[in-house]
Amino acid sequence: MPGLITIFLIIITISAYLFSRFLYFKYQNPFVNIVLLSTSMVIAILVLGDIPYQAYVPGQDIMTLLLGPATVGLAVPLYRNRHLLKQYGLAICLGVGVGTVISMMTVLLITQAGGLPREVIISIIPKSSSTPFAIEIARMSGGDPALSAVFVIVTGTFVSILGLPLLTRFKITHAVARGSAMGTVAHGQGTAMALLEGGQQGSMSGVAMGLAGVFTSVLTPVMVVLLL
Amino acid sequence: MLKGLKMSGQGIILWSISWLGTQISVATGLPVPGNVFGMILLFVLLLCGIIKLQYIQDAADFLLRHMLFFFIPVAVGLMNWGAVFYQYGVILLLALVVGAILPLFAVGVITQLFHKEGKQCRG
Repeated sequence: MPGLITIFLIIITISAYLFSRFLYFKYQNPFVNIVLLSTSMVIAILVLGDIPYQAYVPGQDIMTLLLGPATVGLAVPLYRNRHLLKQYGLAICLGVGVGTVISMMTVLLITQAGGLPREVIISIIPKSSSTPFAIEIARMSGGDPALSAVFVIVTGTFVSILGLPLLTRFKITHAVARGSAMGTVAHGQGTAMALLEGGQQGSMSGVAMGLAGVFTSVLTPVMVVLLL
Repeated sequence: MLKGLKMSGQGIILWSISWLGTQISVATGLPVPGNVFGMILLFVLLLCGIIKLQYIQDAADFLLRHMLFFFIPVAVGLMNWGAVFYQYGVILLLALVVGAILPLFAVGVITQLFHKEGKQCRG
C-alpha cells in the first residue's frame, strides 16, 4: 500500500500537469512548456514543504508504470505513415542516420572538451531522441534519466521555436526534408511544430522521430564504449 | 463503462508488447531499451496484419496524447542536479544549441538532395 505522502505527491503531480496543460492550450506558446512548468511546480512544492526527494521515488515508480505501453504506442503513427517510409525510404534513412550521428558527436565533443562529468555526458548524448527512449538509453548506458529528460526538452523547445525559420534560412524548402529535420532533432515537440506548417511535414517528422529513436538507442552504447 | 473496458483491453495488449520488448532486451543482452524493441515489434505486427489498428488505436492515442505526463515524475529527479547546471550551464547550453543546429542542417540537406534525385529517377 502506498503511503499517504505518496498519494499526496501523485495528486500534486497530476494537478500540476492538468494546470500546465490548461495554460498551454490557453496561450499556445512554445515557451509555455508543459513538462518544464509542471516539474518546476512539483520541485517547488517538495522544496517548500521540506520533503526529501526519496519520498517522491515510490510515487515516481507508480506514475511511470504506463510509460512503457505509451512508448510502444509510438508504432501507431509510424504505421499510419508507412507509405512515406516506402516512398522516401533511402532519403529518410540516410538523412536521419547521418543527422543522428552528427547530433550525438557534437554534444559529446563539446561536453567532453568542457570537462563535464561522465554521467552528464552520457545523459546528453541521446538529447535528440524522444524522451521515453532517452530516459531508458541514459539509464542503460550509465547516465541519469532526469538529466536526459531535461536535455531532450530543452532541445525540443529551442528547435520548435527556431527550427523552421533556420531551415528556411538554410534554403531547405522541401516538405519532406523540413519534416524529417524537425523530427530527427526535436522529436515530438518538433513534430508538433512541423504539423502546424503542413500535414506532410508533420507525418514526415513523426516517422523521422521514430527512426531517430531507434538509431540513437543502437549508437549510444557504441559511442560510450568507444569514446568515453 | 463499455468504453472503459475496451480501453483497458487495448491497454493490456500494449502492456504485453511492452513487456515482450523488455524480455527481448534482457534475453539478447543488447544495451538497447526494451521500449525500442516493443515499438519495432508492434510496428512489425501491424505490418503483418497480426494486430489490427482498431485493436489498439484508442488506447495508443490516449497514451500518446498524455505522454508528457509521464516525463514529469522523471524530470523531478533534476532537483539532485542543481550544482551541475550552476557550474556547467554555459557549456551545456552551447552543446545543446550547436548540437541542434548542425544536425538540423545536415538532415535537411541530405534528405532534400536524395529526395530530388529520386524524383528525377522516376521522371
